[in-house]
Amino acid sequence: MPHALLIKFPGTNCDAETARALEAAGFTAEVLPVALLDESALDRTQLVVFSGGFSYGDYVMSGRIAQLITKNKLGDRLRKFVDDGGYALGICNGFQILAQMDLLPKASLIHNASGRFMCRWVPLKKNGSKVSPFLSALPEQFELPVAHAEGRVVTMAGDAAGYVKSGLAPLLYGADVNGSTEGIAGLQDETGRVFGLMPHPERFLFKADHYDPDWSGAEQGWGYYFFKGAFEAMTA
Amino acid sequence: MSDTSQAVFRHIPIRDLSADQLLALSQQMKLSLSKVDMLAVQAMYQEENREPTDVELEVIAQTWSEHCKHRIFNAKIKHTLNGEEEVVDSLFKTYVKAVTEKIWKDKPDFILGAFVDNAGFVRLDETRAVCLKVETHNHPSAIEPYAGANTGLGGVIRDILGAGKGAKPIGSLDVFCFGPPDVKESDLKAKDVIHPLGIMRGVVRGVRDYGNRMGIPTVNGAIQFDDTYIYNPLVFCGTAGVIPISDIAKEVKPGHWLIAAGGRTGRDGLKGATFSSASLTTDSHEEDQTAVQIGNPIEEKKVADFILAARDKGLIQFVTDCGAGGFSSAAGEMLSEVGGEVWLENAPLKEPGLESWQVFISESQERMVMAVEEEAIPELERLAAMFETELCRLARADGSKRLKVWHYGSLVCDLHVEKLHEAPRREMLARWRSPAVKEPKVALKPSSWTETLKTILGDFAIVSREPIIREYDHEVQGNTVLKPLAGASGDAPQDGAVIRVAGSPHLMAMGCALLPELGKTDPHAMGRAVVDECVRQLVAVGADPDRLAILDNFCVGNPDNEQELGALVECTKGMAISALAYGAPFVSGKDSFYNYFVTDEGPVSIPVTLLVSGIGIVEDAAHVVGASLRHVGSKICVFGPTKRGLRGSVLGKYVSGCGLEAPPEFDEAEALERYRKYHGLVKQGAILSTHDVSEGGLGVALAEMAFSGKAGIRADLDRVPAEAGCTAAEVLFGETPARLVIEVASEHMEAARQAGLVVIGESTREKWLHLTYAGNTLIDASVAELKAIWKSGLTPYY
Repeated sequence: MPHALLIKFPGTNCDAETARALEAAGFTAEVLPVALLDESALDRTQLVVFSGGFSYGDYVMSGRIAQLITKNKLGDRLRKFVDDGGYALGICNGFQILAQMDLLPKASLIHNASGRFMCRWVPLKKNGSKVSPFLSALPEQFELPVAHAEGRVVTMAGDAAGYVKSGLAPLLYGADVNGSTEGIAGLQDETGRVFGLMPHPERFLFKADHYDPDWSGAEQGWGYYFFKGAFEAMTA
Repeated sequence: MSDTSQAVFRHIPIRDLSADQLLALSQQMKLSLSKVDMLAVQAMYQEENREPTDVELEVIAQTWSEHCKHRIFNAKIKHTLNGEEEVVDSLFKTYVKAVTEKIWKDKPDFILGAFVDNAGFVRLDETRAVCLKVETHNHPSAIEPYAGANTGLGGVIRDILGAGKGAKPIGSLDVFCFGPPDVKESDLKAKDVIHPLGIMRGVVRGVRDYGNRMGIPTVNGAIQFDDTYIYNPLVFCGTAGVIPISDIAKEVKPGHWLIAAGGRTGRDGLKGATFSSASLTTDSHEEDQTAVQIGNPIEEKKVADFILAARDKGLIQFVTDCGAGGFSSAAGEMLSEVGGEVWLENAPLKEPGLESWQVFISESQERMVMAVEEEAIPELERLAAMFETELCRLARADGSKRLKVWHYGSLVCDLHVEKLHEAPRREMLARWRSPAVKEPKVALKPSSWTETLKTILGDFAIVSREPIIREYDHEVQGNTVLKPLAGASGDAPQDGAVIRVAGSPHLMAMGCALLPELGKTDPHAMGRAVVDECVRQLVAVGADPDRLAILDNFCVGNPDNEQELGALVECTKGMAISALAYGAPFVSGKDSFYNYFVTDEGPVSIPVTLLVSGIGIVEDAAHVVGASLRHVGSKICVFGPTKRGLRGSVLGKYVSGCGLEAPPEFDEAEALERYRKYHGLVKQGAILSTHDVSEGGLGVALAEMAFSGKAGIRADLDRVPAEAGCTAAEVLFGETPARLVIEVASEHMEAARQAGLVVIGESTREKWLHLTYAGNTLIDASVAELKAIWKSGLTPYY
């Protein structure tokens, strides 16, 4: 049974529901406060998760301090972990952290075009032939909630279009949500084992989580299939 | 810089002062103590044959402050109602506590705690309880909206962390009363007053940034806009929590260490308790800045994670938060039975050089105080390191019955714990007489009811709060089943929220209601109607009508004004009647006085404002009911009679004439029977959607249900069960309490009819609102057009 390690920074606040979703999909999940994090922690896990929240308050660039502290504690160990076949996932604030770790294609997450925090459900669509294991059990189009102030993906000129074309951007918004370039909602690395996204799959675990009581898209919430897809890929 | 390794305090001679000199001293030190209070203090020291220290005077002032001691709610009030005199021997005992005690006898297994702890508890399931606390942060929010609201929410979250041996916060509600956002700058009649827009934006962002960072979903709330709130905005922050029932009881025993955890102590938040117990003036905007605290939600998130982990390991014997009054209040409360010694030098400081009294009463945020056994301390230190929060040994309980405070070896405070809590009882005067009907502000031509509906849908009382709701994370924790926005496009209104509780088969509903417009003319009717509306919301979303608990939060202008205090007395009377009839106990509450402001043109008071918030138990996820129309071809039913009267209604602000003489009547006993029958239908799965009929009446309720975007409504209002003589205005826009609009699938209509629901129409494929009455078409409009008005009302301002 694959083990998921959720690194909890001061201000991380989606760890409990993310652990619950991982367990529902078959993982064993362990929430580890960053004070206890060292290189050896990666020896006991197959998936490292950076959950949502406001690490260290996000008062400077969101995710920046968490990224620096992780880098300081793990050095190149996370890179090696991924190279050796490990998986890494960043959700919302976790994506903001992961985006600064050189594990994902180069991009930044900046303030939404509206300049506001927004909590709403968004339409999403899969993109490209390079299907992420995290998206493998999901249909071409689906919905998830977002809740962020800094979720707008920007890149060096032309990079974003390149990511869409090459499949490094496997998840796009179905509508303009936050001004993200090319509508990018999630990014993955060349291997597909590292994935970061702004929407919150852990918040749509159950059918009843949908805002419309008549929603009948699937047996479970789409978020369940997100984690299930990863589980299937890692146990295949 | 002053020496940082010795106590800084002084003795203040008071034994030989005259009454007037005592009062002058109170004012000079900003103690907010009256002449009577100061005389009582003087007598205390004459008896002890010594002079007080400044620390002791500050401790007494904080302990006796209105904010901490609720002396007005405990006062003996001589009240004159329409010329008849009566004596109210404590509003709290008569109209709050007595109600709960009566209900408690009937529901001993349900009510698990009321009034004694930081929040009241009711049973969720076999092993868990849920709790709710609501606080106000009005004065700070008036002078510093962002920080005031920020720490308002931060404070009430700590109340939940300090409830029992530590409850886990699972949902917040926020209720605001602001001046109208379109008020002209030139209409502000005092300098340095912040425009309602500035207040609104600051307050919303303050709540957003604390709640979102703490990871607690803000799922419920309300906003009222009225001229009377321009100078005194009201900010209510509430949080609900869940706790194992076995962790509710707590006790401090001699020998326990009092360990402070969390943020450091600084000069921010000095004298907040006494500051909030006086009225605001223009000078407040300059002088009282240090009274407003500075929030740091990440500090609180760390201490929250720490407290809950420590509780789960059984390390905590007692915990409470540092709120108003800081260590003085927290340690004072914890040592109020047994007594003990405090060592101020152990508290980590934000900056050096604080005087002794400042360390003791500072309201710096994010601090919790626990009572623990000595042998628990190493494990607590390990957990604190894990969650990166700071601990200190602040005090130790010793059974001496005295509160002794040391600072670097000097005894700066030495008070008998019982005497400290013996504040003189206040005697007050109140009177009430119903005022005459007011003339309308705007005369509407009633030639088109559709136009009237559009006007009302665009009124600040009704328009969508979506721009604000979107700024709150209402989904974090992944348990928000019934969300604040619903419908096919997730933007239609909802009556309440329902939250799943991890591990429990049952869910928790949250709701809240306030109707200050009605209270301006009839506070008694407001008290009743507000309790009904909160109860009705909880029942509407699927809670069991026999398993509800409510909170009363009052905001009042000048209590020394007999008319204003009279309005409060009448309001509490009304509230008590309804709560008792519904069997909905008050399990907690709070009051805030002196919400008045002296402008260039004289004092402006708020109308007596009662917020009733509540939680209810939803037995099964299948019982959750939203307020959005779901299907085409369903029956649209009304449950509950419509009565005459438009007083206090939204329509009443625009028109004068028939029906304005009184608010509509309702009967709580009959209403409760209907709520139980409704709940029976919910359990059978007969209900598709339900909306409470509240502000804007039936017309607005029907329109809002259709805002789901799934169907329109065609209805004949002649079928609405209404008292004889009701006018079209009363049927369409009257706000009789205790009514629900319910969508029922045809196959369940037989059961619905037997329960007493009355069909008035059906949902249509055409997304149109078509309402007829007495052979005429009253409302004829596309849902899209109506929704656009409702949805965009706040967007220019937020």
